[in-house]
Amino acid sequence: MEVRYFADIRPLAGTIEEARTSVPPTVSDLLAVLSAEKGPAFENRVFPGGKLSDTMIILVNGRNILHLNGVQTPLNPDDVVAVFPMVAGG
Amino acid sequence: MNGWSGTIARINLTTGAITKERTNLKDAALFLGARGLGVKIFSDEVDATVDPLSPENKLIFVPGPFSGTFAPSAGRYHVVTKGPLTGAIAGSNSGGSWGPELRYAGYDALIFEGKAEKPVYVWIKDDRIELRDATHLWGKWVPETTEALRAETDEDAKVACIGPAGEKQVLIAAIMNEMHRAAGRSGVGAVMGSKNLKAVAVVGTKPIKVADPKAFEGAVQAARKKIAANPVAQGLGAYGTEVLVNILNQIGSLPTRNFREGYFPTADKTGGESLKATLLVRPKGCFSCVISCGRVTKIKNPKYAGEGEGPEYEAGWCMGADCAIDNLEAITKANHLCNELGMDSISMGATVACAMDLYEAGLIPKEETGGLDLHFGNADTMVALTRMTGLREGLGDKLALGSFRLASLYGHPEYSMTVKKQEIPAYDPRGVQGIGLEYATCNRGGCHVKGYTIAVEVLGQGPNLDPRVITAKPFWVKLFQDVTAAVDAAGGCIFGTFGMDVGDYAAMLSGLTGVQYTGDSFLQAGERIWNLERLFNLKAGLTKKDDTLPERLLNMAVPEGPAKGMVSRLSEMLPEYYQLRGWDEDGVPTEKRLEELQLAGELVGA
Repeated sequence: MEVRYFADIRPLAGTIEEARTSVPPTVSDLLAVLSAEKGPAFENRVFPGGKLSDTMIILVNGRNILHLNGVQTPLNPDDVVAVFPMVAGG
Repeated sequence: MNGWSGTIARINLTTGAITKERTNLKDAALFLGARGLGVKIFSDEVDATVDPLSPENKLIFVPGPFSGTFAPSAGRYHVVTKGPLTGAIAGSNSGGSWGPELRYAGYDALIFEGKAEKPVYVWIKDDRIELRDATHLWGKWVPETTEALRAETDEDAKVACIGPAGEKQVLIAAIMNEMHRAAGRSGVGAVMGSKNLKAVAVVGTKPIKVADPKAFEGAVQAARKKIAANPVAQGLGAYGTEVLVNILNQIGSLPTRNFREGYFPTADKTGGESLKATLLVRPKGCFSCVISCGRVTKIKNPKYAGEGEGPEYEAGWCMGADCAIDNLEAITKANHLCNELGMDSISMGATVACAMDLYEAGLIPKEETGGLDLHFGNADTMVALTRMTGLREGLGDKLALGSFRLASLYGHPEYSMTVKKQEIPAYDPRGVQGIGLEYATCNRGGCHVKGYTIAVEVLGQGPNLDPRVITAKPFWVKLFQDVTAAVDAAGGCIFGTFGMDVGDYAAMLSGLTGVQYTGDSFLQAGERIWNLERLFNLKAGLTKKDDTLPERLLNMAVPEGPAKGMVSRLSEMLPEYYQLRGWDEDGVPTEKRLEELQLAGELVGA
């Protein structure tokens, strides 16, 4: 599984992208693992109190998890997970 | 008079006559200003079948009621004319401080008509308006023109001008103000050039009168707080609009290689994160801006050296992924060139992408390129073609016609990714369905910003709609189009809607003008403007057949990436959109709907 980070999440994650051999069952499980691993700044921004921040957008294989099964979206070894803050432009 | 200045200046370039007239307050209340009042004046005065580059076309500069006030992001003005690129109504919006300065000089609009015998510029200082010879400025690029005019008028003058592209009537020419801000789309700069009008320099010192200062200030402060608290607005200031490159790429809807693909593997090199880490000098805001999405950038590499502003997301995309280029220095250089020569960066980059596509298909012969290699990915060629287009040199003379006419010259208009002959922007409508309906129906041709459903389809705003489905998309497209028309007409920046709703705009407008607006009546003003633009286009000869997308997007599925297998389902959305608008099945507004919008009688000739 590959996890990619964008915008101000990059410095919090300490990397742009990473291949992860251990694949948690769901997005929620992944975010919990990442929060423990990356530290409180990441956790507070992305997954405060074990709940996905409403200022974040998580994609699994290019689809917003809100249009899949939310944080319960299951994960597979060949998935690409993208972690974005809410952004805009035009 | 409150809210509006009360005076419109009319400048006949053929005779040199300069007259002033009272603003029609009934029209101002119904159409607000800027885009709205502009299209009302324009459609009242100009035959819709006019040749856009003839003296009979008019060119109207219109700020809005908010312009120059401390309403959030109130630095906008609109240029209204018939677009030479599209043959449709053109409404090009720009920021900076030029629009506010025109308000301070005391004008609700400047109407240019006719054609000057030789190059001229207009110098406005409050009540005094002078037509001056501009022969010495003809041929000068935008920065040089701006500096020269400041030197010979007033060092504080705000200057809107054309560069060589506008002079040479490049059909994608823009009008530039304060060097780096563009009224960019539909070829409005070519109309200015066709009139031999090089520039308008303005200094104003008058106040804007406010009907109810306490109510206005309260509404403004509440609105400013909402924007400041919005995470999206904060991100715009930090990374600029280029931050969108990665999210569009990750969902597989970053148009790549002239929309042949939707995913560009090295797009991250061209995104807002990379720009911030490399070329960004500082963020920059327009007048009264609380966001500062603008990018002041500097390239040190001698090959592309220079300082300027941008790129924004659209330019970063069309000069980047759409041309299969990941060289951010080259992209930034080409963007600077667009500003300096006075061109719409969206149409420029997309036209280069079209040329590269034609070349790879063997349709543009090598002997016509002047030795340039037009294969996708060639950054030096993209920069060279940008310069050649602005100066109409070599192959650039053909690119100056925009991609539709370019591809048609080589017998293959289907290579042009345009709607109503205007290049469509940076969101693949196969993976994001609603924006395709916006492209197809936008009154000024292919455009995202007049109905930005990306906010709810991709960026997680409001109802957070699934971009791949078509359910409810006609409703949202219509709503975004109407809201945007009203915000444009009020003189606000559309990015304000990332924090404000129509009630916030109505409260500010009521306090400012003394005319009582509600969220509903503000929204209805937008719908009124949209319909009047539509009627102009119908009178100009456009029909339902023009409400479509390039064949490539309707029938050729995305080949790879997250949106693989998808096509635009436009034909399923369009009938519902017409119905929601109160239009008949041919897309013509019904008399009943026009009466409801206080547009009775406007149907004649449509």
